[in-house]
Amino acid sequence: MSQMLKREVVYAITGIVTVLMFVEYFLFPESQAWAEMLRTWGIIIYNISLGLGAVRLTMAHSVSIQRRRENWQYSGVLLATLVVMLVTGLAGYFTTGLQTSNTIYNWLFNYVYTPLGATLYPITGFYIFSAAYRAFRARNVDAALMLIAGCFVILSNAPVGEAIWVGFATIGEWFRFTGQVPGMRTFALVGTLGMIAYGFRALLGKERGFYAGGGEE
Amino acid sequence: MSFLANIDRRVFYWILFIALMVPFLNPIGFPIKIAENTRDLYEGITGDSVEPGDVWIINFGYGVSAWPECHPGVTVCAKALLREGAHIILIGPHTDVELTYNHLLDTASADFDAATYGEDWVFLGYITGGESAIAQLASNMRSVYPTDHFGTPLDNIPLMQNVNTWHDVSGVLSSDTGDWGGYFLTMWQEAYGVPMAQIGIAMLGSTGIPRWLAGNYFGMSVGSRGGAELEMLIGEPGDAIIAMDSISVSHLLIVIAVIIANVGMLMERGRKS
Repeated sequence: MSQMLKREVVYAITGIVTVLMFVEYFLFPESQAWAEMLRTWGIIIYNISLGLGAVRLTMAHSVSIQRRRENWQYSGVLLATLVVMLVTGLAGYFTTGLQTSNTIYNWLFNYVYTPLGATLYPITGFYIFSAAYRAFRARNVDAALMLIAGCFVILSNAPVGEAIWVGFATIGEWFRFTGQVPGMRTFALVGTLGMIAYGFRALLGKERGFYAGGGEE
Repeated sequence: MSFLANIDRRVFYWILFIALMVPFLNPIGFPIKIAENTRDLYEGITGDSVEPGDVWIINFGYGVSAWPECHPGVTVCAKALLREGAHIILIGPHTDVELTYNHLLDTASADFDAATYGEDWVFLGYITGGESAIAQLASNMRSVYPTDHFGTPLDNIPLMQNVNTWHDVSGVLSSDTGDWGGYFLTMWQEAYGVPMAQIGIAMLGSTGIPRWLAGNYFGMSVGSRGGAELEMLIGEPGDAIIAMDSISVSHLLIVIAVIIANVGMLMERGRKS
């Protein structure tokens, strides 16, 4: 029975939903009520998965603390943060209907999360700088071509490039528009065809990873 | 000279750190050329392209970490739309969307202060559900957002009283670090022909520019540079134009580092041979 639930029922639900969505998208000019209902279910399931993810995260990190795994202290910080944000957010929600009405919740978001988030992304600039020095080496003709193209694109993206020589912008734009676009379109088309093939394989039960995790039948 | 090939990475960190201070202490102000894709975006949300009362969606598809790249462009677009008399619906799929919303109220404060919440703009808030949610938004907004972010039912908001499907929306501006612009492209632009443009991080230029050239996006702003170009177009220099000097310095240093590395490598190779 459980095997049947894992396979046939999942195949059937996936197949029926896919066909219905295809029919609605391609054959009807306007949205249909039954399709809206299915999409609403999809959104609800998606949201349930967020909650499930939080539960799973809590369980995994609790085990990590319990067994004193490597860097378990970070798991402690994560769980403590999770609890504080949850409690303060819910406190705000139950008192005024808005989680952001709680002062502690707002403070943590504005003065911890925001600066951390704003720092994390720009800091990659330092790594990119160092990585460009270590990795961008013209060891062969292919690498040299990529390096030259990269330098032109970098200099065309920054106003300084054009200030040094107007040709940097012209050549860089050529790489970005004439050089890159056909490649990207090919990549997009091939990727889409691959997705269609994957979809058919999944519908036919050939993709075990889609249903039960891992491997091909 | 072969030592040039093996410089410690910490040296580069310090050089970049110090060099980035220069434009902040002493702004350079290199001229900025406006790209065609950015100009198309600006022209698509100003002048004859927008009628007073048109309803536009702005999707905050970015979190706090991408503010430097996406937010200046979004600020200019919000200003431009409000000045044209258009109405704006603001949504976002990031958990920190409220911070971004508040930041926009701050960066475009004069325009939002002159407008009325609920009549000229509305903040519907956080959205989850991926592509399904965006598809559903096209057919029945109330099923995704029964209320705005502050808990007011949509029927009680003047702006939203006659807005519920894609028919009621004149255009979409999606500002992205990831897939959400693609969802709007599939579920709004391709499905129903709703005009759409993207304000993306620099990395999205490679996927967005082909879509702009194909006519899927009526315009596109790419990274901080796009934001700076939009600030030039609206005539109000802001954060992105200030950041352009730092971008110039960092980009130039990357090219110099690459040249140094290759000179060092060639020297080392020559010495060995």
